[in-house]
Amino acid sequence: MTDNPAFVDDPTVEVTGVSKWFGPKVAVSKLSCSFGPGVTGLLGPNGAGKTTMLRMLTGLLRPSEGEISVLGVWPRAKPSVYSDIGLVPEESAVYTHMTGRDYVKYAAVLSGIDQPRAAADRAIQTVALEDAADRKLEGYSKGMRQRAKVAAALVADPQILVLDEPLNGTDPVQRLRLIDLFRTLGDEGKTVIVSSHILDEVDRMSDRVLAIVDGRLAAAGDVRAIRRAMSDIPYRVRVETNRPRELAARLLEDAVVHGVAVEDGGLMVETEDLSALGRGVAAAAKRVEAVPTVFRPEDASLESVFRYLIGRR
Amino acid sequence: MTAALAIVSATVRQLLPVRRAVVFLIAEASLALVYLLMAGTFSDEAAALERLFLMVITLYFPLLVPIVTLIIASAALGSERRDGTLSFLVLRPIPRSVIAATKVFSAILVAGALNALGGFGLSAAFAIETGTWDLVIPLVAGGLVATIVYSAIFVPLGFFTDRAVLVGLLFVLIFENGVAFAAPGLSALSPWRLGFSTFNGLAPNALVDPILQEFDIELVTVSTSLLRTAVLALFSIAFVTIVLRQRDLASE
Repeated sequence: MTDNPAFVDDPTVEVTGVSKWFGPKVAVSKLSCSFGPGVTGLLGPNGAGKTTMLRMLTGLLRPSEGEISVLGVWPRAKPSVYSDIGLVPEESAVYTHMTGRDYVKYAAVLSGIDQPRAAADRAIQTVALEDAADRKLEGYSKGMRQRAKVAAALVADPQILVLDEPLNGTDPVQRLRLIDLFRTLGDEGKTVIVSSHILDEVDRMSDRVLAIVDGRLAAAGDVRAIRRAMSDIPYRVRVETNRPRELAARLLEDAVVHGVAVEDGGLMVETEDLSALGRGVAAAAKRVEAVPTVFRPEDASLESVFRYLIGRR
Repeated sequence: MTAALAIVSATVRQLLPVRRAVVFLIAEASLALVYLLMAGTFSDEAAALERLFLMVITLYFPLLVPIVTLIIASAALGSERRDGTLSFLVLRPIPRSVIAATKVFSAILVAGALNALGGFGLSAAFAIETGTWDLVIPLVAGGLVATIVYSAIFVPLGFFTDRAVLVGLLFVLIFENGVAFAAPGLSALSPWRLGFSTFNGLAPNALVDPILQEFDIELVTVSTSLLRTAVLALFSIAFVTIVLRQRDLASE
């Protein structure tokens, strides 16, 4: 059994020392990991290299170095393996002149399915697109197109499903339905690889997460492990009050406060425990008779979290 | 339906939406209409034939056929790459050679049908005027040969550049209709001359020979023309197959 959380014991997809560069720009750098049955989330900010990674997994892009193996082969070398791979690309790429049903049926025919019409109907039902199935795709909303793409990817019942930001543009109800669908597919033993830049989405979909930043693997493991890794990130919180200097002096005595600076008439406070700081600010303000008017974490964006993760490797 | 037929069917619909079909049909029919409008000025059958020849050699082969084929063929793979639908097509258990062949074939089918209609219309207009239908098959066949050669060139071109139409136009207008006339040695590289050679080879000698002498065009035999066309088409399919196997099929 492997101890490295970037790898699984029963891989269906293996990535070994893979890099990809476009001219001077390095999109993915010496990335090694593996994927197996269940849902794996590929988490990272925009531009981190997730889409490049997924495109290499499916054979759309060739790695500049390293090796990729899907069900034991490099897909481009053996196109027949594509009957076991389904891709939902990030871009809104559909044949707009087709109806939703024709589009999914086209995918079924290209995948060599015996009864493409019946398979298309089943896939459309799975993503709850029956009502719009006979309308042209050009009239679909982004969320509906996403569901049509998911149906097209599922129509051949592939063993491996690669989903690039599949929840983009979907409404909350569709989102829940798709998340349930992906989890069910993972529970059925399919390898589901799903990318997102939204932590909450990945948390709800995946048992295991690979965090990618600047084309490198920043963290790997189950969602709780990633959360733990992120729990010691210092927050910067802006506090505005009518008595900034007095409040700053009092806050420096608080153990949860790492540092305080007076900036632009307010305070910039560093802490690792946001809720404890909130209580501390309230208590300190009471003691110095200050009135806090603003309490705002400044750098809790996912981007800064990822920067932190890559910085501590 | 097999995968190959499905790709051809989808590509044909993709390449020829209704609005574009109408525009192309008007363009193809315009030669015949112009010819019929001029018909009253023809003094005899020889004049009618000379006018037809002039239109065939200055409009149909050097402009209409290449431009229609350029727009159609460069979109066969190019629009898939540009619109991001290429992944839908290539991530299927289909040999890349089948994808390449169906794309080239689809372009030939659509552009060939349009150009054949144009050739038929023009030769039919001549037949209405003179009662001679002998030029219908030669002109349609010549148009088809030129269409095949242009498709073999423009399908791969469309994959490599978003500006395929511009590049293609420069090739047609500057090289084929400029440089190749000035330097006849280079005319072997001109696709429409293969089509014209086929037309000339199949047309009755008594009709075309007297007029052809007025034009300085390097011609090959019909069999040479067909052989070159077949080789170019096969080379194009092989080239696109290699490209689909070897190159990145998505951008950064």
